[in-house]
Amino acid sequence: MTRWPRSLSQRLALMFALGSAVLLGAICMYLYDSLAREIAWRDDQALAGRIERMRALIDESADLEALRRRPRLYDNMLGNRDSLLWILDDAGQVRIAVGPSGIAVPQLLPSDGRIALRTIEGTPALRLAWTRVAAAEGHLTLIAGRLLAEREQMLGAYRLRLGLALAAGAVLAYLLGLAIAVRGLRPVRDLATRAAAIDVRHLSQRLDTAGSLRELDALRDALNGMLARLEAGFAQLARFSEDLAHEMRTPLNNLMGQTQQALSRARTAEDYQNLLVSNQEEYERLARMIDSMLFLARTEQTAAALVRVPVALQELGDQLCEYFEGLAEERDMRLLNTARGTLAADRELLRRALANLLANSLRYGEPGTPITLSSAVSAQGIEIAVHNLGPAIGAEHLPHLFERFYRCDPSRQGAGESGGLGLAIVRSIMQLHGGDVRVESGAEGTRFVLIFPLSTKFVVDSSS
Amino acid sequence: MTILIVEDEDKTADYLRKGLQEAGYPVQVASTGHEGRQLIAQERYELVVLDVMLPGVDGWELLRLLRRTSGIPVMFLTARDAIEDRVKGLELGADDYLVKPFSYAEFLARVRTLLRRGSVRESERLQVADLELDLLRRRVTRAGERIELTNKEFALLHLLLGREGEVLSRTTIASQVWQMNFDSDTNVVDVAIRRLRAKIDDPHPVKLIHTVRGVGYVLEARA
Repeated sequence: MTRWPRSLSQRLALMFALGSAVLLGAICMYLYDSLAREIAWRDDQALAGRIERMRALIDESADLEALRRRPRLYDNMLGNRDSLLWILDDAGQVRIAVGPSGIAVPQLLPSDGRIALRTIEGTPALRLAWTRVAAAEGHLTLIAGRLLAEREQMLGAYRLRLGLALAAGAVLAYLLGLAIAVRGLRPVRDLATRAAAIDVRHLSQRLDTAGSLRELDALRDALNGMLARLEAGFAQLARFSEDLAHEMRTPLNNLMGQTQQALSRARTAEDYQNLLVSNQEEYERLARMIDSMLFLARTEQTAAALVRVPVALQELGDQLCEYFEGLAEERDMRLLNTARGTLAADRELLRRALANLLANSLRYGEPGTPITLSSAVSAQGIEIAVHNLGPAIGAEHLPHLFERFYRCDPSRQGAGESGGLGLAIVRSIMQLHGGDVRVESGAEGTRFVLIFPLSTKFVVDSSS
Repeated sequence: MTILIVEDEDKTADYLRKGLQEAGYPVQVASTGHEGRQLIAQERYELVVLDVMLPGVDGWELLRLLRRTSGIPVMFLTARDAIEDRVKGLELGADDYLVKPFSYAEFLARVRTLLRRGSVRESERLQVADLELDLLRRRVTRAGERIELTNKEFALLHLLLGREGEVLSRTTIASQVWQMNFDSDTNVVDVAIRRLRAKIDDPHPVKLIHTVRGVGYVLEARA
């Protein structure tokens, strides 16, 4: 296909021209063939007619001499430079010869009274009709012939004209095709123009359906779909940058404010120390935020490599429970791990996701209640759930919980908060695994469920 | 035991120098790659701390040069923590790396590790003041009295004892004791330390585990 022109119109025109040339060629060949046959048939009829007339003349004439003297014999031959007539006797002697001289009488098979026809290839090429008739002096062979040169010449000229017509037809077809293609592809160009007009500031615009063609609908829908995704992505990015700037403002404001306030007059060493410690906390908050942001940015690039290994869920759960044990006891909570089975997943990422969910549950669960880590296989996939008994999360918050920096209560902003990125990281990790995360909240507490697709390798422990 | 710091950012170089000097190491600072190269050619160093983004000869180049001639331990510092960068550094022969922003305690701990690499054998019995830890028998005693610890408490105490006098950041502790290699912003480490203190320090007048505010924890006998 590389030899084809890069322009679609030219390609179409070329195809059109080729198609037309094939069609015209076939018609020309048919016409030419018909004409050639017709001419040959007429010629043969004429030759046969001449033989018939000769036979009639011989019948009427007393002998060949009388025949030779008859003007009518020559009449129909006069001015006819490519007609031949021979009359041979049984001995093969030419008795009468009319027509261009210098042509040898060809050897012919004897005819049995009917008129035989044959083409003699040679120089010159001849078409002959002959028959044997009984005459006064015995049997005679009548041969009427015609030089084929003229017919060939005529047909040759006809072929040339056909060829020229064919070529002209193809060129015209190309030009016509080009004009049609250019005209026909105008909606594509219009679509391109309209699509090109949509820039970053006008991402909300869509390609309209008015007057669009069925064939272009798919393209237009695809473009509109892409625009919708772009717009959503762009909006998210813009909101995200804004959120980020906002989120960074708070710790920065603390840092600037308390440092300036402290520097406004001389203070004790202890005061300075307190200030530095407080600053350190804010710095750590910023560093954590940057870490989380980078983590999110990387996991959202699909290129991020996932190192899948078999992860024993019970073991991982136990490790995490051990990690959070002290914290849970402080809050008078218990951690229960009933997760079983071995799942193919990225161990570090899964650990991180579960750690975030457990930390979240510890933060919001009711003191004195258990937090349960469990696993199950459902129709949706392989599920790992973290369940806590705490106040229900408002239904209006549920769809947004996994968004970055989302807070159910905008005023709540403790230093120990996860910075609003913990659950976003969980979702990101699950998307990397081709799965998803779901949350249910109600009177029975809150349940975060990590869902791995059913295609994920999962082995149920035989021991459990 | 001179340490060379090659770092173009003045503030960073300054606090690293001060910190290392306070920890008892002689330090020299080079602020460009060229200067670093000259110093390396002239002097002998025990450790080179190398910033990757340097004007002139960059850190990678310097690392390559260094590795061609000597086996001095090299720690590189980078603000880019893409995996390829870390791999590149380690492939070029760096012994360790830290991603900015890093905790100062973490930095000092790593420097210490690099400087004593190979020279210290893991001791089976660790002791600070009247606190003893027997690794083989998994026993901890203080003033001769046996103290019962959970597995993780034991691991935590082992870490603190093994790094006696070193301030350990919460991140280091979480990573070494629980293999939590990411910053979780929970106060799990504080809680664990509190519980360990309750068993180790609370019954005794002399405290061994100390909080270094804003940095981490250290175990040492203070006069």
